[in-house]
Amino acid sequence: MHRSFVPALSCSGVTVQYGPVTAIAGLSIEFAPDLIHAVVGQNGAGKTTFARVAAGLVRPEQGQISVNGRPLPTGSVPNARAAGVELVHQSFALPPSFTIAEAMEFGSTRPGGIFSGRSLARRWKSHLRSLDITADPNSRIRDLPIEIQQGVEIARALVTESKLLILDEPTAVLSPSGIDLLFDRIRRLKSMGVTVVLILHKIREVLAVADTVTVLRGGKHVAGPLPCTELESASLARLIIGDGTTVREGGDIKALTGADAPESFERTAVPVTETPARTTAPLLEIRAVSTAPDSEGPPLSQIDVTLQPGEILGVAGVEGNGQRTLVRAIAGHADLISGTILFSGVDVTRENLTERRRQGLRIIPFERNTEGLSLTSSLWENWSSGALLQGSLLRYVRPAQMRASCDTTLSRWDVLYHDCRQSAGSLSGGNAQKLILAREIDDEARLIVAAQPGRGLDVGATAFVWDALRSARDRGCGVLLISSDLDELFDISDRVLVMLSGRSVGEHSAPYDLQAIGAAMTGANQ
Amino acid sequence: MDEMIIAILRSSTPLIYVTLAGVLAQRTGIWNLGLEGLMIIGACATVLGIAITGSFLQGFLLAVGLCVAASVLLWFVIERLKANQIIAGLGLTGLGLGGTAFAVEAYMGSQVAVTVSSGAPKAGPVLGAFGVLSIFVLLMPVVVLGLWVLLKCTRFGLQLAACGEHAFAARSVGADPSRIRLIALAAGGVLCAAGGAELATGSLQLFAQNMTAGRGFMAFAAVIFGAGHPVWSTFAALFFAVAGVLGIRVQLTFGDNIPHGLLQTLPYLATILGVWVSGKLRGGAKAATLTEEQSDV
Repeated sequence: MHRSFVPALSCSGVTVQYGPVTAIAGLSIEFAPDLIHAVVGQNGAGKTTFARVAAGLVRPEQGQISVNGRPLPTGSVPNARAAGVELVHQSFALPPSFTIAEAMEFGSTRPGGIFSGRSLARRWKSHLRSLDITADPNSRIRDLPIEIQQGVEIARALVTESKLLILDEPTAVLSPSGIDLLFDRIRRLKSMGVTVVLILHKIREVLAVADTVTVLRGGKHVAGPLPCTELESASLARLIIGDGTTVREGGDIKALTGADAPESFERTAVPVTETPARTTAPLLEIRAVSTAPDSEGPPLSQIDVTLQPGEILGVAGVEGNGQRTLVRAIAGHADLISGTILFSGVDVTRENLTERRRQGLRIIPFERNTEGLSLTSSLWENWSSGALLQGSLLRYVRPAQMRASCDTTLSRWDVLYHDCRQSAGSLSGGNAQKLILAREIDDEARLIVAAQPGRGLDVGATAFVWDALRSARDRGCGVLLISSDLDELFDISDRVLVMLSGRSVGEHSAPYDLQAIGAAMTGANQ
Repeated sequence: MDEMIIAILRSSTPLIYVTLAGVLAQRTGIWNLGLEGLMIIGACATVLGIAITGSFLQGFLLAVGLCVAASVLLWFVIERLKANQIIAGLGLTGLGLGGTAFAVEAYMGSQVAVTVSSGAPKAGPVLGAFGVLSIFVLLMPVVVLGLWVLLKCTRFGLQLAACGEHAFAARSVGADPSRIRLIALAAGGVLCAAGGAELATGSLQLFAQNMTAGRGFMAFAAVIFGAGHPVWSTFAALFFAVAGVLGIRVQLTFGDNIPHGLLQTLPYLATILGVWVSGKLRGGAKAATLTEEQSDV
């Protein structure tokens, strides 16, 4: 593009290092004013770091940021905000106990003085209304549905005269209709003269909303800003993924980059192994389970789930609709009010996790680094913990033997490491997830609960995880795959169940209808 | 009745000041277990200051200076040296208890209590029977309300609360959590000095070794009981103090029929009960951590 403009945001030679890891290296980009710019790339491409540098949250080792041609002192949020740069975070950054009005006020730079709750609500009413946020200004952030939380976060970013709004993966937590709403909002901002930089990872979304697209890979600038009108999704996918990677071609790549056709998803024909005549009981049967309310999202309410051997059952839903409680209920950690849980026809409602694991339950948990692994413990300790908890706690353990079989298993699972005595915290995200897979998908595994197994992984690692789940399925295991990424679910699930507010609101099978599932996720069809 | 109210006010006021210091720290994300140490430094410095200079004001200023300095030290250890805040707080408590014992010994040459001839200024006869109360008691409601207004009704208060609840959110709007914690801890130092001064010179005029007798920890418990809210935490502290006064009453009434030691445990039992109840009501206190969640790069 010709430079006939003063760039709204430009960065030149920006380098950021987190310890030994270079997050972005010598990044130089210029964004024209009054447009919607998309920045895309795989996980680990440096998108979030770039956004945080621009907003002043991260001080780069090298490089310069300019706004409207004026250089900005790096690493200072107040300076960036004074220049009109605002950032909306991926996982929203508002204190949950604040009211909407307080969330506006705490980041405001206008003179504030002493206020009461009522005067605060009055002060921000018109601002909120101008951005279509009709919720009561005195309602608390934690009580808001996620779409409104995001709206509030955007309104928070616009309390100053923001001229440049950066949104970090704003679609990751939204349902399809929520995404449409967000894009409308963004187009309206553009018409109000705000330059928008959107960090996205789905090509479909880029092409739907952005004027230009910039591709990052491995912390480096690959291409862009390219005008979106001249782009095809296939060539963009190639830019994002690069040529050197050895991931599977075809369906997976498309699903991973969200390059598929938007309307309905033809599943890549993975032949479902001939399901044996169902004379045996289902692997997992959850009958009318309800749980007591707790702080982790809505309780389960009369939910029924049935999982047969040799199938992958996807659980779709906007995050925070009871998925975590469902996993805890299956693990035996939730406070059940009513209902029963059966493994292969055996009632395990009163059994603890150890007993359930003995019966073949394996869990790939939501939080890899806190629930899945002890980051300060060694690889072999992490790997053997599952097996050690079975059987008598007093039996004699031979660490050397454990280490040897750990080495064998980890190399079979392609984990990159140098010594199984190194700490789990030293592994990259993909290798850490492989370590969990190596522990959880063992020979005795029969029922595998995989909670967001691809989150935060790059394309290669995600494809590896999907393959592992598929081959477990083909061996006759049942897999319950919980994900908020519809592309992931559509690509590998045999059936998809939709959760909303702790209930199951319908089941879908291939070919999946994005509209119908999206409507079910948001309760639009109720 | 007046007598009873006076007793309750006298025993609750030191606790309330220290509780408010704990509230300030807790709101910024620091569970301050150094309150006991700060309180005894405040008490000791006030008395020794009076003993040396003969003036209450100078004694109190010495206490404020030392308590603020100790709080800043705590901040430095937690924020700059990245030490565990619980360990650092307990260390400060140990420093306070040991340091004051040492100071008394150095000054007096022996380990007896230090008595002084003047104490904190009193309200005076205008208030009738309540005239014996010190200015710290009279100022206490003002400080409680002032802190409540600061936290609830000013932008600084919101930013302070954001630091404790979601430090990354605070940083995202340009607030500096580290600096806000410094301000909160230093202000807490002033409040602890007031609490210590009231304890040593409000009704008494002496300092004895270990005279805080766990009040700093009771204040800490009051912060938990009151969920970090300045007014509720104040009521929690008041509740603990009432339990203590009632214990003394019961003892005066029944004499030796009830074991002396058992009654002395009353405020502490009330504290345990209070923390247990608040845990039941709210699902327990959150873990103390200053780390921000950092999503992927």
